[in-house]
Amino acid sequence: MTISRRDLFKAGFAVGAALSIPSIPRAQTATAAARTARMVKSSDLRVFDPILTATNITADHGAAIYDTLFSLDSKFMPQPQMVSNWSVSNDKKAYTFELREGLGWHDGTPVTAADCVASIRRWGHVHPGGQLIMALASDISERDDKTFTISLKEPLGLLIDLLADLTPPCLFMMREKDANRPATEQVTANIGSGPFKFNEALVKPGASITFDRNEKYVPRKEPSDGLAGGKVVHVDRVIWDVIPDQQTAMAALQAGEVDYFETPPVELYSLVESDPDLGLQVLDKPGWDVVLRMNCLQPPFNNVKARQAMLHLIDQEAFMRVMYADPKYINTVTSIFGKDTPVSNDENTGWYKKGGDPEKARQLFKEAAYAGEKVVILDPTDWREADNASQLLAAALRKIGVNAELAPMDWGGVSTRRAKKDSVENGGWSLFITSESNYSFGNPLATPLLLANGDDAWYGWPKNDEYEALRADWANVSTLQERKELARRMQSIWWDFVGDVRLGKYVSPIAHRKTLTGLIGMPQIVPMWNMQKVTA
Amino acid sequence: MGAYILGRMGSAIVVMVMVGIFVFLLLRLAPGDPAAMIAGRSATEEMIAGIREQLGLNDPLPVQFIQWVRAMLGGDFGTSIFAGRPVLELLSQRLEPTLSLTILTTIVAVTVGVSFGVLAAWQTGGFVDRLLAVFSALGYSVPVFVIGYFLIYFFAIRTHWLPVQGYKPIGSGLGLWFVHLILPTVALGLGFIAFIARVTRASMLEVLSEDYMRTAAAKGASSYAMLVHHALKNAGVPILTVIGISFAYMIGGVVLTETVFNIPGIGRLVVDAINNRDYPIIQSVLVLTSGLYVLINLTVDLAYTLIDPRIRY
Repeated sequence: MTISRRDLFKAGFAVGAALSIPSIPRAQTATAAARTARMVKSSDLRVFDPILTATNITADHGAAIYDTLFSLDSKFMPQPQMVSNWSVSNDKKAYTFELREGLGWHDGTPVTAADCVASIRRWGHVHPGGQLIMALASDISERDDKTFTISLKEPLGLLIDLLADLTPPCLFMMREKDANRPATEQVTANIGSGPFKFNEALVKPGASITFDRNEKYVPRKEPSDGLAGGKVVHVDRVIWDVIPDQQTAMAALQAGEVDYFETPPVELYSLVESDPDLGLQVLDKPGWDVVLRMNCLQPPFNNVKARQAMLHLIDQEAFMRVMYADPKYINTVTSIFGKDTPVSNDENTGWYKKGGDPEKARQLFKEAAYAGEKVVILDPTDWREADNASQLLAAALRKIGVNAELAPMDWGGVSTRRAKKDSVENGGWSLFITSESNYSFGNPLATPLLLANGDDAWYGWPKNDEYEALRADWANVSTLQERKELARRMQSIWWDFVGDVRLGKYVSPIAHRKTLTGLIGMPQIVPMWNMQKVTA
Repeated sequence: MGAYILGRMGSAIVVMVMVGIFVFLLLRLAPGDPAAMIAGRSATEEMIAGIREQLGLNDPLPVQFIQWVRAMLGGDFGTSIFAGRPVLELLSQRLEPTLSLTILTTIVAVTVGVSFGVLAAWQTGGFVDRLLAVFSALGYSVPVFVIGYFLIYFFAIRTHWLPVQGYKPIGSGLGLWFVHLILPTVALGLGFIAFIARVTRASMLEVLSEDYMRTAAAKGASSYAMLVHHALKNAGVPILTVIGISFAYMIGGVVLTETVFNIPGIGRLVVDAINNRDYPIIQSVLVLTSGLYVLINLTVDLAYTLIDPRIRY
């Protein structure tokens, strides 16, 4: 029994010939059907209740299946969505809302004012703006099936803005029986009144999530504008495919197996740009600010001079380059209210210097009587960009003589350890990097990152009573001009006591097949109405 | 034989209990908080504390452990902290893709690997043998993801012959199911083909040098009869051991292939669960997997008796 090379070549050709019959597998290869949009989102939808979590993926899910009382238009102005009419009393303390006709839950029952009241109360437990409303409310109740009121102990000029706020957890309307659950207990019914229905039969957690067009949804008559206006759905089905590997997701986009890839890595941008069938598009134009949190309770950052040193040390351009590389999509940010928000300003930003100022930072650490204490940087190795930035931060600190140490861990580890207020010797921390929507920084009542009330503040626990007093005034000012003035005063104080340090700002384009059009660009939420698939 | 099987089944239960205790403690002692993962990056401490309380994560460890064991004994594997669905439901969704991939890969690896190994041993130093040496080096040294990306590029993006990613259940059509498994099977199988072929070759070489093989040749036995009936059967025990190890290894180590080809199997379920600190899923999968390992080993041990009558239990 012998096998010649000729036999082997024959066998090889036979296999090759079999594989080169493309018609069968090609016909069977899954391509996105004409009226089904397939999307690869930034992460897996793990939590289904948009009030329980502040994650954007769940907010996107919420925007698909739930509806909102108000929505922001493309100019970030609140517009009625489920509400048809609303009014406010002369003393500005009583708001009355009337629901529009045709609103119904996916289970076939009508939306009532009682549902909305319960939803507002549940949201009011978790959203900073909602908590403010609940603190000021003397009564929130339904008048009849279609009308409800919010009565306040004192006027709140921002009430409608807060009801429409985009910072998750957003105010989505749920059925009364779902909304009556504690805000810390997950609602898994997935029954809303929004333009999409959750397809329970096809849900595969960790693999794919399917939404079907809600044929009974009655959109508003106004044209779509931002998240406001008519939510008209042009596809029959949207499938979120969970593809954890970015290379594979890109290959699937190239092959036409998916239509949309939310977070292509920066090194693949050129690949997208070189493919005539694909395009990059920035949907979230305000983007995200990268923030360095410092533990204000423990040395060395319990000393304001050490915090000021960090402000001078940071070279924002360098940090953005190691994090997001492409200069088209990165920027610097010096206002605590984000870049180009209505209240962004340049008050007290003299610390900013292109390239940073390590010598000034070294001097300030000296003035802080820094004595070589260990500075522990929580380094989330499963978040590549923050991992890169953490390493650059450690190098920059070591260069000016600071005893910096990286503590590598996954984000799960960071999220636990950042809550520890102890010293680094007892398992605490000194620094960690996070990010927040640039849009959210435009409203200090919406994001916990702009709190400075010590133990009740966000991780790092900065404390400044003067700043907090001004922040409390935010709810009372009614005009944009007044808000701008207040913002300047708040920022002036913030950059003195240094509640945090900004590392820069980035926008992240999505990649899509050019046959997928009509994508709505807004911060925080990627809506799925209005988009359509055109024939190639 | 019956007593042997019962004894091994008993040892499987002991192993599963020990794995259960170890995994439970390891997860609770490792850093990470599912409540914080649920609440999201920008969540407040207050939100996280509320969720932790709701999930019962503030209960003392012994209480949590007893609750878990009691539920497991009652056949309740718990509910995913994140998905809010029974773990068994999630496992049943993920079992088919993983079993499809591992069984298909095992069939391919055994068929090709054993044939390759037998031929290489038969023609020691010949073309097939040298080809096996090169192939083995590649199979061992090139990582699955490199092979995977290469296959995707050539067979999916360039030629559009096969799909890039995904899994179609058998219920959606045998052709569709098979087409989606071709590339993952090749990527995963190459290393195992090399492994099985090398072991088969070595084992066959040993047998082929035995006196009884010369006797068989002297009696005029055909090459086929000598290789398959005399040599392969006697070389079978180590080959079977390697096949068993490979199958067990594949079940646990298939995660990379599942990730590259986006196959929603058990491996990815566990990795996601670990990232999320979804304790009920991790605990259940690891306990069940340990039991499966013991069962695979038992099956291999019993299979020895079929190919070697001298082995008795």
